[in-house]
Amino acid sequence: MSKLLKLSNVNLNYTIDSKSINILKNISFDVDYKETISVVGESGSGKTSLIMLIGGLEKVSSGNIFFRDSELSKMNEDEISEIRRKNIGIVFQSFYLIPNYTALENVSLSLEINKFDNPKSKAKEILDRFGLSNRFNNFPSQLSGGEQQRVAIARSVAMKPEIILADEPTGNLDSENTHKISNLLFNYIEDENASLIMVTHDNNLANLTKRKITIKDGVISENK
Amino acid sequence: MKINDLSLYSRYAFRDLTRSYSKILSIIITLLISLFILSAILTIEDSLENELNENSKVLLGGDLEIDYNNKEGDRSLINQVESFSTVSQMVEFSTMISTTKNKNNKTSFTRIKAVDQNYPLYGEVIYEPIGSLENLNKIDNTIIVNENIFKNLELKINDIVKVQNKEFKVIGTVKVLPDIGGAFVFGDFALTGKKTLDNLELNTLGSFLNYEYKIRFDGDENKDNKINKIVNIFKNDSKVKIRYPENSAGGIKRIIDNFSQFLSLVSISAMLIAGIGIANTLLSFINQKNSSIAVQKSIGINSVNIKTIYYLQLFIILFFISLIAYGLSFLLVPIVDKYISDGFGLNIEASFSLTNLSIVFLVGLLVIIIFSIPTVNSIDQIKASSLFRNVFQSLQFKYSKKSIILSLFLLAILIILFAYRSSLPYYSLIYFASFFVCLAMFFYVSRLIILLLRNNLTNLGISSKIAVKNITQSKSITPITVMSLGLGMTLLLTLAFVGSNFKREIAKSIPDIAPDYFFLGIQNNQKDLFQKVINETDEDAVIEIVPIVSAGIVKINGIDPNTYISNSNDSYWVIMNDRRVSWVDTIPKDNPILEGSWWDTSQPNKLQISLDSKVAKDFGVNIGDKFTLRIYGREIEGEVVNLRLVNYQDLSINFAMLLNPQFAKNIPHEYLSTIKFKKADNFNEVNFLDQFPSVSIIKISDYLSKVTDVLNKVFIAVSIISAVTVIIGLVVISSAIIVQGKIKTFQNLIFKILGFSKKEIIISSIIEFIISFLSIILFSTVFSVIASKFIIENIFQLNWLFEFEIFLYVIIGVGLTTLALIILTNLKYLSPKVYPLVRNE
Ligand SMILES: Nc1ncnc2c1ncn2[C@@H]1O[C@H](COP(=O)(O)OP(=O)(O)OP(=O)(O)O)[C@@H](O)[C@H]1O
Ligand SMILES: [Mg+2]
Repeated sequence: MSKLLKLSNVNLNYTIDSKSINILKNISFDVDYKETISVVGESGSGKTSLIMLIGGLEKVSSGNIFFRDSELSKMNEDEISEIRRKNIGIVFQSFYLIPNYTALENVSLSLEINKFDNPKSKAKEILDRFGLSNRFNNFPSQLSGGEQQRVAIARSVAMKPEIILADEPTGNLDSENTHKISNLLFNYIEDENASLIMVTHDNNLANLTKRKITIKDGVISENK
Repeated sequence: MKINDLSLYSRYAFRDLTRSYSKILSIIITLLISLFILSAILTIEDSLENELNENSKVLLGGDLEIDYNNKEGDRSLINQVESFSTVSQMVEFSTMISTTKNKNNKTSFTRIKAVDQNYPLYGEVIYEPIGSLENLNKIDNTIIVNENIFKNLELKINDIVKVQNKEFKVIGTVKVLPDIGGAFVFGDFALTGKKTLDNLELNTLGSFLNYEYKIRFDGDENKDNKINKIVNIFKNDSKVKIRYPENSAGGIKRIIDNFSQFLSLVSISAMLIAGIGIANTLLSFINQKNSSIAVQKSIGINSVNIKTIYYLQLFIILFFISLIAYGLSFLLVPIVDKYISDGFGLNIEASFSLTNLSIVFLVGLLVIIIFSIPTVNSIDQIKASSLFRNVFQSLQFKYSKKSIILSLFLLAILIILFAYRSSLPYYSLIYFASFFVCLAMFFYVSRLIILLLRNNLTNLGISSKIAVKNITQSKSITPITVMSLGLGMTLLLTLAFVGSNFKREIAKSIPDIAPDYFFLGIQNNQKDLFQKVINETDEDAVIEIVPIVSAGIVKINGIDPNTYISNSNDSYWVIMNDRRVSWVDTIPKDNPILEGSWWDTSQPNKLQISLDSKVAKDFGVNIGDKFTLRIYGREIEGEVVNLRLVNYQDLSINFAMLLNPQFAKNIPHEYLSTIKFKKADNFNEVNFLDQFPSVSIIKISDYLSKVTDVLNKVFIAVSIISAVTVIIGLVVISSAIIVQGKIKTFQNLIFKILGFSKKEIIISSIIEFIISFLSIILFSTVFSVIASKFIIENIFQLNWLFEFEIFLYVIIGVGLTTLALIILTNLKYLSPKVYPLVRNE
């Protein structure tokens, strides 16, 4: 069986003041279907940059990223959008809900553009599962931080992606909410057979994944 | 994009719009105002033309008109027509009406229609009292005068007035005549019975006698057959002109056309200024949506689709605004109707026109797309990866080669759309060119201000420093202020200069060059007596007296003159009716010869013609071309020997055609005279008419005051409509300030923390305003001076002067309004609450 995701010799350079800085160096690893991975490392080590590359939101400077059998690095903007729309759910540290959409509308958005039938009722189902059944019509400004993140996660998993990318999903939350959210997230992944790559500073959270990748100064220092 | 995608994105667009329309309120307002103006112009023009078309028979006075000009019609031919239709005979002539009181008698130059009992065949005469119209033909020597004469001559019903020494009883007043297709629009008029004619001496040229036979087809027989029959009946009678309803309102239609085309140029200017604001507001709108757009991208919606959502929002706004603007324009029609129904007897009604609605929508669409392309394209700059970093760069207009070409292409379509609808496409193009040159200039002016101030920051008071900082900062609203207000000011000033110069020139011509009176219909044998009487009244009176005869152009180079020009041509009047022509020995001093030479005296037996150069140009006639003139029924061929520059506006005696006197002096003729009195008080019109009952007197000052009155109204209407461009400019500016509001609030907070007083901050915005406004005044004055000078001197051929008073009114008016608006809008950001800002930062 082929891999869900394959990175080989990925490099990422940023240019500042015409000087090129090597942020990620020769990164290579695979992700299996249904695998959960946490990415840890010091601040500035390049974790977010890695997630961005995998999500197709940033282009590699050299090396290859394969999503299933298609090479992301060779695709154009629209083709990557297409892959992302169907297969990749992203969760941000700062939630990022669309402010003038209700919770329900935020979630059904990704269902609608993926042409699911009955997007509204499916979105309700998911929000229900995330304990938000009486918050359907709240706008983000009318939700607590924890609720916002639950809506954000609901949005990113709604269309049943193959993989979920999360960058410190609990970074802006207190420990109680962190616990609640991680439970929801991991249960969902378990139920839906999705994969997860999650950046986190939280060791408890990192320990919930099958594998842990540690990055130091742009290099994978540990992968177990 | 697939259809169901489109419906999905339309839903998003709709939802976004219903939730955040308040943020683009200024787009909605400016679009609504400018589309409303455009709709109003189109709707009113349409209603007027519909009315004219529907009433073309009324305006003509029949299904057909047989015009015999100044000769009574051939009764045997008319009788043939009468066998299958109804004929109403009418004779029109101009003459004097005088009161016959014991003292203080007054006179009035009047166009009289002598009508028979069949009048009117179509339409309605509005008169008082009941029965008076019928009585005209039952009781001899009765007359119905229009309300204006009734008032000015202080008449009462049953008063006796004199027309050419004959006494008439005033038995009623008339308000509106149906058949105004002719020249009745501005002058005074009266109705009398047909028999009256025999009592009057009307065979003079000065009475502009005209015999008309209006025909109404009765019964079911095919209309075209009847027309053919009539054409056949008169085909051998060369004196006859047959007129059809289609041409009955040509003159009025042309005026409406030109006027509405001018106004639609004003409205498109308003639209384009609105466009500047649209671009700006939209950019800030998209900036506010920055993170939402990034989220949409992270979910996998591509840039094109997101842009589609924004275009769809604009499209939806435009759709509704077009409908509303077009609908609102119908409310104006009754107001306009009230205005014109008094004078013209037209009753206009608004009627829905899909074409006009489409034009409104299309124009709006073009303007919106042109101005939103660089803004909506800025969506490309938004990156989903910002969501990881929590920083969102503020967006800039994005110009790509493709989008610039597309914008230019759409702009070209817009311009062609307007130029194509115009009967003077050339002027429309010049107008657009000037508009864009001004736009570019104002843009560079704003750059220049910023550049100059950036390098001269030293030695300023603190308020000035803040002002300069505001102007030169990267998010400065100076370019938008200067461009939108600058264009509006330029347009308003140009029209103000044109209007005031025009009015001044016309008012000025009364005391200076223009004579006091025109005398029409002086008979050949009265010439000496006339001069004697005038000299006895005032020995210093300047008398200009010229012979006139009536001549019709029957052929040019042997063919029908109608093949040379259409009836919409400026010079159509030359062949429309017989013209009065004259002859002089020497070149008139205000009519310089442009081409050819003055009379060839070695050929006294050859008819030589001197022609108005403008007429020659319109007809494509050159020196050496042959005109066949009909004078007293005889056709005479003459040759065009020279072209004169004729300026009809100087109100002296001007003729489109002059003949060589050696040839013409033996033609039976009468005289036309202008008099400029030194002692105008000595001249008594009533006494004069006792001696010369058949002469008509036109007092120039009366005539001019009527003309200036009309012009004044037009001028006011035009100025009000043009002020819309300034209003739009102001909405654009205030929306730009509001867009800038967040920065302003934050900035004012810092100032507050730093210990500035409110006063200093207000003064700084006033200084900021003054700097921008002074440069706007400077440049818009320069542009409007150039434009108005061009219009006054080249199109109207009048003298141009800088009208300082008007200039002051305009700049003070606009300046104070703008200042008030700027202070009011800024006041909102003047008392920032420290706490929420600090918490949010
Ligand atoms: N656009 C950019 N240009 C230049 N350097 C950048 C850019 N974006 C990120 N960097 C640098 O790349 C490095 C890696 O950044 P990244 O955000 O991936 O770190 P991180 O591991 O996610 O850190 P943290 O745990 O603090 O979120 C940092 O040193 C950062 O300064
Ligand atoms: Mg990070």
